[in-house]
Amino acid sequence: MPANAAAPESRQSAGDARGSLRPLDLDKLFTARLQAARARPYLATALFALHIVESRQVPTMSVDRHWRCYASPAFVDRTPVEELAGVWVHEVSHLLRDHHGRSDRLAREQGLTGPGERLRMNIAADCEINDDVYGDGLAEPEGVVRPDTLRLPEGQLMEEYLSRFRLGPWMQDLAWLDCGSGADGLEREWELGPDGARGLSAQERDAVRFRVAQGIRARPGRTPEGWRRWAEDAFHPPQPWRELLGAAVRSAASGSGAGEDYTYGRPARRSAGVPGVVLPSLRRRPPRVCVVIDTSGSVSDAELGSALLEVAAISQAVGGRRDLVTVVPCDAAARIVHPLCRGEGIPLMGGGGTDLRTGFAKALRARPRPDVVVVLTDGQTPWPESRPPCRTVVGLFPRGLASGAYDENDPDYVPDAPPEWARVVEIGSASPSR
Amino acid sequence: MATCTPFAPTTTEPAAQLDVAGDLLALLRDAGTEPRADVQLEALTLAVAADLPVLLWGEPGIGKTAALTQLAAALDLPLTTVIASVHEPSDFSGLPIVGDDPAAQGVPMAPPDWAVRLVRAGRGLLFLDELSTAPPAVQAALLRLVLERRIGALQLPPGVRIVAAANPRSSAADGWELSPPLANRFVHLQWAHDHEVVVRGLGGTWPRATLPRLDPRRLPEAVDFARRAVCGLLSARPTLVHRLPTNETRRGGPWPSPRSWEMTLHLIAFATAAGSSREVLSLLVRGTVGDGPGLELLASLDRMDLPDPEDVLADPAGAVLPERGDLRQAVLDGVVAAVRARPDRSRWDAAWSLLVRALETGAPDLVVVPATTLASLRQEDWDVPDTIERLAGVVSLSRRADQAAARTTAAAAKTGRRNAR
Repeated sequence: MPANAAAPESRQSAGDARGSLRPLDLDKLFTARLQAARARPYLATALFALHIVESRQVPTMSVDRHWRCYASPAFVDRTPVEELAGVWVHEVSHLLRDHHGRSDRLAREQGLTGPGERLRMNIAADCEINDDVYGDGLAEPEGVVRPDTLRLPEGQLMEEYLSRFRLGPWMQDLAWLDCGSGADGLEREWELGPDGARGLSAQERDAVRFRVAQGIRARPGRTPEGWRRWAEDAFHPPQPWRELLGAAVRSAASGSGAGEDYTYGRPARRSAGVPGVVLPSLRRRPPRVCVVIDTSGSVSDAELGSALLEVAAISQAVGGRRDLVTVVPCDAAARIVHPLCRGEGIPLMGGGGTDLRTGFAKALRARPRPDVVVVLTDGQTPWPESRPPCRTVVGLFPRGLASGAYDENDPDYVPDAPPEWARVVEIGSASPSR
Repeated sequence: MATCTPFAPTTTEPAAQLDVAGDLLALLRDAGTEPRADVQLEALTLAVAADLPVLLWGEPGIGKTAALTQLAAALDLPLTTVIASVHEPSDFSGLPIVGDDPAAQGVPMAPPDWAVRLVRAGRGLLFLDELSTAPPAVQAALLRLVLERRIGALQLPPGVRIVAAANPRSSAADGWELSPPLANRFVHLQWAHDHEVVVRGLGGTWPRATLPRLDPRRLPEAVDFARRAVCGLLSARPTLVHRLPTNETRRGGPWPSPRSWEMTLHLIAFATAAGSSREVLSLLVRGTVGDGPGLELLASLDRMDLPDPEDVLADPAGAVLPERGDLRQAVLDGVVAAVRARPDRSRWDAAWSLLVRALETGAPDLVVVPATTLASLRQEDWDVPDTIERLAGVVSLSRRADQAAARTTAAAAKTGRRNAR
């Protein structure tokens, strides 16, 4: 529920309502839902799937993970229809963006326990929603938490917001904010729980989310960017790039010719049991990994540092020794090949334009030849014409729009996409779907 | 020895000590069971019953073996577990045995003892554990076993069911991953532990899953349903028939192809005959053709559950409308679309009485759009039915929503489109 500036007051009137026992004004709530569905037709399915529960314990409006929407009669009474419409969309956004699942995941992974942390998650989730949900026919309720309330930039994900603020005395006004377990995963006392009436099962929830996403993808026309991005990823939450890069490098490094496998080069000792037969034996040949690093001005040192450390750790995990990992810094011209065992002090000089073709050439000229070439780049470069004679993994730093870079002087310039023969992992797209 | 040491009294009863330890172990082992619905186990049972190769993805130590033991008991099959990573390729492709004259007789490939025992028993559950930590050559040999059911010269009888287990790509130390053709042959099931089950189990009560039983009377109906479901979807969405994974995240996972759709068809029939829930079917279908196509299939199954618009128009008074708002709206939209497709006076009237029924039994905002569309279908010589009076509430609701929208637009214009972006 969006924070309302008149928070303490609202709690007051909730108390009053308990005395007078006014019934929930369903008509007003439905009118608001109709307005919301008209303003955001792509969310209509999700809005209509919500089941309304009257509750005198909930301060305003909240949702649980079973797609029930709890509404306080007093809150509905005093809020104008157009603001209620905004609240509807806000609450359904929590569910569509799976904020409860993501909160649970965060709580598990980072050990965030306790109501304070859940409140932080609720605030972060509100920030993710509120920065682009209002306007365009939908009124912004008074005093909602927006990223700028917390002095944070807009357009980020709940996870990113969460790591960037703490609860403090200046947030006193937000302490009552409560969107229910649908927003932060923590069960509330007024909620009906999994066995309560008319909740949606996990499969039904997925089905509703899927239908909304499909509707957005089918008619992307007037849908805001944030929702389109959500629809793209809703059912394919991007994996953390570290794991993807690791898997790509590992599978490249353990392919034929490197890693651990059976070879007829030397017979197995088991052969003694079968005279006259040559059985293969298990041999291990640690893979040689060459990392070509794009040191052009467009890639930051921090990005490069983290990616390089990652590659080193991965190649060690596959059994490579540190001395088998080499590094080729490359901008317009490739410089010298550095073995990684010479400490961390590899000079990543450069700047200006990139031509990775020289980097590839340099890497492949090394003797013995590497088994895997890992390229870390932002992709603004020409690529080799033909497939190099070893496995290639490209770690791509995303730049600007998904369609590629935009050059002011040459608007038609589109850099080449990484070639088909390389396995491409986007680095820095670690965030789950929104 | 004659000398007496302080330890002497205890050394006389080592056996007794072990007995005490045995008692303690027996006490620890003494755990009860309780019935509990287990969706993953149910899905696994159905896939195994359908004789499709299953691949369980799960971190080590989360009870895959325990689940297999339960499954074997439920299907009444002896369980054979083979840890792939401690075997050599020749253990699965057969060990060459040299005879007197290899040139004349060839070199027979002798199967290992467990395979011989399996074949002799004629039936059993073969569990290939730790597939992903085995070297590539072993995996290659194993895949032949899974897909062709051959070990050396031995053919596994049809009564043997095979389940494999692998660690997720991100945690597998040597990063085995399935090539798309191989991934397409498996039903992928993600195996996760349920926190509550583990805690209760360690406390002494393990769950006892009641596993699905196929109902012999429902078999023809199940096949018919499965065929309608898959063919209905694929004729409407031809691009779903075959779609290779292109994305790095989706590598090694399930994807749609005619082969995996056929597996899906089998699984739907099995789930229907067993009366399984949609949750179970969802796991199976998404594990066979992937999330996107799987969800589309499930969505079209949901639509198959909805009442047919023609039936509703024939008997609007007896129609049962779904409780859930979005499904109810789908039915109303479908009915209005049916009237639009074949407009005629009696159908138009029937649709109006259905809308009135919808208004009296559920949320009014759902009725607005169908009512507007239906009103626009009126032809000149059609009189407005009396029932329409009862929709007056809908009209005023719609008007109030319009007014609220107008207020929003006016306010936005006043604040100089502050929130436009």
